[in-house]
Amino acid sequence: MVKLSLRSLLMHKLRLFLTVAAVTVGVAFVSGTFVLSDTMSKAFDELYEGLTKGTDVAVRAEAAYSDITTQGQLRPLDESLVEVVRDVPGVEVAQGSLTGFALILDKDGEPIQPGGAPTLGASTSADERLAGAFSYRDGRPPSGADEVALDAASAAKAGYTVGEEVGIVFEEGRQTFEVVGVVGFGETDSLAGATMAAFDTATAQQLLGKTGTVDEIAVKAADGVSAEELRDDIAAALPEGVEALTGREVAEEGSAAVREGLGLFTNILLVFAGVSLLVGSFVIWNTFNVLVAQRRREVALLRAVGATRPQVLGGIVIEALVIGLVSAAVGLLAGIGLAVGIRELLAAIGIEVPTTSAAVEPRTVVAALLVGVVVTVVAAVAPAWGATRVAPVEALREATPVSGGIGPVRRTVGLVLLLAGLAGLVACAVVGNQPVLTGVSTLVGFAGLVTSGPLLARGMARLADRGRRGGGWRLAARNIARAPRRSAATALALTIGLTVVSAVAVTAASTKTSLADIVADGNRSDLILKPASTGAGGMSPGAAAELRDLDELDAVVEARFSGAQVDGSSSYVVGMPLEGLPEVADLGIASGSLDDFSRGSMLLGVKQAEAFGLEPGDDITVTFPETGDVELTVAATFERDAIVGSAYLVSLDDFAANVTSRLDSAVLLSHADGTGSEEAKQAVEAAVADYPNVKVSDPEELTKDAQAQVDQMLGIVTALLLLAVVVAILGIVNTLVLSVVERTRELGLMRAVGATRKQVRTVVRRESVLMSLLGALTGIALGTAAGIALSRSLADQGVTSLEVPVGTLALYLVVAAVVGVLAAIGPARRASRVDVLRAITVE
Amino acid sequence: MTQPALLSRNDENADGTAARVVAARKSYGSGDSEVVALDGVSVGFHAGAFTAIMGPSGSGKSTLMHCMAGLDTLTSGQAFVGETDLATLSDRQRTLLRRDRLGFVFQAFNLVPTLTAEENITLPGDLAGGRLDREWFDTVVTTLKLGDRLDHRPSQLSGGQQQRVAVARALVSRPDVVFGDEPTGALDSRTSTELLRFLRSAVDDLAQTVVMVTHDPVAASYADRVVFLADGTIVDELLDPTRDTVLETMKRLGD
Repeated sequence: MVKLSLRSLLMHKLRLFLTVAAVTVGVAFVSGTFVLSDTMSKAFDELYEGLTKGTDVAVRAEAAYSDITTQGQLRPLDESLVEVVRDVPGVEVAQGSLTGFALILDKDGEPIQPGGAPTLGASTSADERLAGAFSYRDGRPPSGADEVALDAASAAKAGYTVGEEVGIVFEEGRQTFEVVGVVGFGETDSLAGATMAAFDTATAQQLLGKTGTVDEIAVKAADGVSAEELRDDIAAALPEGVEALTGREVAEEGSAAVREGLGLFTNILLVFAGVSLLVGSFVIWNTFNVLVAQRRREVALLRAVGATRPQVLGGIVIEALVIGLVSAAVGLLAGIGLAVGIRELLAAIGIEVPTTSAAVEPRTVVAALLVGVVVTVVAAVAPAWGATRVAPVEALREATPVSGGIGPVRRTVGLVLLLAGLAGLVACAVVGNQPVLTGVSTLVGFAGLVTSGPLLARGMARLADRGRRGGGWRLAARNIARAPRRSAATALALTIGLTVVSAVAVTAASTKTSLADIVADGNRSDLILKPASTGAGGMSPGAAAELRDLDELDAVVEARFSGAQVDGSSSYVVGMPLEGLPEVADLGIASGSLDDFSRGSMLLGVKQAEAFGLEPGDDITVTFPETGDVELTVAATFERDAIVGSAYLVSLDDFAANVTSRLDSAVLLSHADGTGSEEAKQAVEAAVADYPNVKVSDPEELTKDAQAQVDQMLGIVTALLLLAVVVAILGIVNTLVLSVVERTRELGLMRAVGATRKQVRTVVRRESVLMSLLGALTGIALGTAAGIALSRSLADQGVTSLEVPVGTLALYLVVAAVVGVLAAIGPARRASRVDVLRAITVE
Repeated sequence: MTQPALLSRNDENADGTAARVVAARKSYGSGDSEVVALDGVSVGFHAGAFTAIMGPSGSGKSTLMHCMAGLDTLTSGQAFVGETDLATLSDRQRTLLRRDRLGFVFQAFNLVPTLTAEENITLPGDLAGGRLDREWFDTVVTTLKLGDRLDHRPSQLSGGQQQRVAVARALVSRPDVVFGDEPTGALDSRTSTELLRFLRSAVDDLAQTVVMVTHDPVAASYADRVVFLADGTIVDELLDPTRDTVLETMKRLGD
C-alpha cells in the first residue's frame, strides 16, 4: 500500500506541487512568525545580558506598578544615594547612571530617527568594571561638556567619525558636540535599534535635565560576596521607595517585559498564519476529494482484488502524510526566509526590529512539522473515508464522477448558521462595543458558508445558466453545478482571505472618517505640532517654550501622555495646561465646569464617569507608575475624549509632578486675532527650526497624516493576507486542472462537433471566474458585515463613524475576477489541447 | 459487385460526391517502425446515399473516416468535403467545417453530460451562435421519436436514446455528410436495429448523406453501398448489400 501510495504521488507532479504549495505557505507563515519573534527575543536577551554584565546589583526607585504601558519609567534617585550604597560593606564599586531624551542629527541636520526604538541620551560608565558589554570601537570615553560618544549604528548611518561635530537635540534646545568615541555593544552596533548619545555623568545630568539625580546605581560586588547577599545588604541601607535587585533579576525583568510585548505581536502574526492554514486546508481537502473521485475506478479495482477498507483508507492517509511532511519541511525553510521578509516589511514602514542570527527553536520545528502534517492529514481523512465506500463494481463502470446531492439536513443547518451569523453581526452593529460577539458571529457565519457553500455554488451556476446557449457561461455554469461541493470548497478558500480583507477595509475606512470627524468636531486649534516620526517618543518641550513668546500665537497648549492606572486598571492619562485649553479644543463639557479645572483636579470622560459612578466634586485615585497613588477631584466630565486622546485629563502641573519625562506628544496652537494662517505657520516653523523632529501641520494635514497611517496599516494587513489569497488561487488552479483532466473525453467531443480551441478555453476560464466571483462575493459580503460590526465594536476606541468603502470593495471583486482569469490560463490551455481522437475513440 | 475497382475510380469524379479522398495515405512513425494505416486510398461518397465502411480491426477504416471528417490529417493525398480540400484548412477552419458542414455519431460518449438532450442536439449550432431552424429541428426530433426526452440529461437516457440524440445532433444542422463511427457498437440488437432504421430514414426521408464505419454485417446491410478495407487499401465493394452478401464478401476477403 505504501509503495502504491508513493507511486501515485509521483505520477501526478503538478497536483503534488500545487498541494504542497498550499500547505507550505501556511507552514511558512507559522514558522516565520516563530522565527521572527524568537530572533527578536533572543536579540533583546543578548542585549539585556550585555547591559547588565558586570553589574551584580542594581539600585533604583520602586515603581508603583509596571506593565507594558509604563515603559519602565522610574523616578530618578538623589545622587547622594550613590555614596550610601558605596558605603555598604561588600561593595567594590558603585556608580550612578542616567538616561534621557537625546536626538542625534545627521550632517544635514535631520534627526536620526529609528522606527519604534527610543533615542537615548546616557551617561557613560566611568569605571571599566561596570562597563558591561559597552565598548569603544573607536576613540575614547567622552569627558567634559562638549564631548559625546555615539553608538556605532548611528555613527555609521550618518557617517560620523571621531573628531567630527554633531548636533544633538535635548528636551531643552539643541547643542553641538565633538564626537570622541564610537560605541558598540558586544557584537551589535546599537541597543535594539535605539540611538545613543553618551556623555560623562555630570554632562548627562545637566543635558538630560536630571541635575543632582541618577536613574540607577550599578554595583559590583567585592570578591567573595554573592550578588544575592549584597543585594540584601544594600536593600537594608536604602530609604523607602528604593529597591535593590541583582543584575540577573534586572535582565530577566527586561526580557520578560519584551516578551510580553512580543507576545501580542506574535499572536497577531499567528492569526494571519491561521488564516493561511485554514485556506490551505480547504485546498487540500478539495484536492483529496478530487483525487479520490478520480481514482474511484482504481480504488474499486483494489477493493475488487481484495484490498480491505482500512487498507484503502491507510493508502490515502499515507499519501497525505507524505505530502504533509514534505510541505512542512519546505514551509519551515521558507519560513526562515519569510521571517527576514516580514522584518523588511516592518522596516519599510518604520518599525525597525532588533536582530541577531536567526533563532530556530526546537518548538518552531515541532510546530511547523506538526501543523503541516496534522492539517494535511485531517483535511484528507474525510475524502479518504469516502473513498473506502467505493463499491468494487464501480471498477467496471465508466462514468465521470459526479458528487452527490445536497441533503436537506445540510441545507437547513447551513442556512441556519448563515442567518445566525448575520443576525449576530447585525445585533453587534446595532448594540455596538461587542468585539467578542462580532468575532463569534463572523465564525458562525463562515461555518454557515462552508455548510451551505454547495447551495450557493448551485445558485451562482443557476444565475450564469441564463447565458446564451452553447455560450461559455452556460457550459461553465453546468460544470460548476455538476460538482457544487468541489466548486464551493475552491471558492471558500478565497472567501476566507476576502472576508478578512473586507472587514479590515471597512474598519479602516470607518476609522479614517472618524479621525476627520474628531478634528472637525472638537478641534479649535489652527496649527498642531507633532513629532515628525511616528515612532518617536515625543518632542522637546523646548519647542513649545520657544512658541510662547510669539506674538502671532494666542494659545500654546502641550499635551503629554503617560501610562497610569485609574481605579486599578491600566490606561493612559494626558496632561495639558489649564491656560489656553478652551482656545484649542472644545471638549464638550457635559457636567461641572472647566473653570474648576486646576491643579489637583482632573477632567473625566462621560462614559468613564458613568462607569465609575462619579460626578464633579467626587475624588478619584490615579496611580502613576513613578509616584504611585494621587488623589484628584473630578472638576468636570467631557464628551470628546477622542480629541485629546484620553478620557483622563490632568493638569500639566500635576502631570509634571508625577512623570519625569517632559516630552510633548502634541502641541496645539491657535492664532492671535488678526494673524493670517500662512503668516502664523511661517513664524512657528521659524521658531522651531532648531527642533528638526517637530512637524508643523494644520488640522487638515494632521487628519491626512493620521489617515495615511491607517492606510499603511491596511496595506500591511492586506500584504500579509496576500499569501492566503495566493494559496486560494493555487486551489483554483488545482481544481481546474483536475476538472479538465476528468473531462478529457467531454472536451474532445466538444472539439469534434465543432467547438474551437478558443471556445473551450472560454468555458474553462468562465468556470474559473465563476468560482472566483463566488468566493469574492461571499467573502466581501461576510467581511463587510463583520467590518461594520467591528467598527461599531470599536466605538469606545474612537471609531465613532461608519463608512463602507464601496469603491475598494468593488475593486476587490474586480481583482477576484481577474484572478479567476489568470488562474485559468494554464488549465484552459490544457483543455484546448485535448486530443480529439483519443477522446472519442473507445479504448 | 464484380467490378468494385471501376466503381471506385468513377468516384474520383467529383460530380455527386459529398466527400471523397484521393490517394489518401496515412502513416505513423517513420523508417523501420513506420506503420501505414491508409495506403493510397481513393474513394468517394455519393450525396444522398448511405455508405458503410467495413474491414477487420487495423484495416484503417476508422482512420479513413477520421481523415475525411477533418478529425485527423492525411500524411499525403487529398481529402475533400464537397469541393473543400481539408489539407488547405487550418485547425480552426477544420473545426468550423466540422461544426457547420458535418455531423458525427460516435460509438459511445456522444453527449455532453451537463447538457440536456435538446441542448446537446443544438450544441454545434449554439457554438456557432446561429439561429435554429425550428421546423427542421422538430422534423428531426419527431423522426427520431425524441419529443418527450428533450429535457432529460444523458444520464437519464438509455443507451439507444443517447445514440438517437447523437443522430439528431448530427442531422439538425443539415450537414453535407453525417459520419458514424460504429454508432451501434455499444447497443443491443434491438436498439441497434432501431437506430439503423433511423439512419436509413434520414437518408430516404430527409435526403441526408451518411457514411458509417462498422464491423457488423447486419448494420452494413442497411447501407446503399459497402466499401471493404484491408491493410489500408480498398479491396472490395458491394451495392445494395444484404447481411448474407456482406458476410460472404467478408469471408472471401478473410481467406
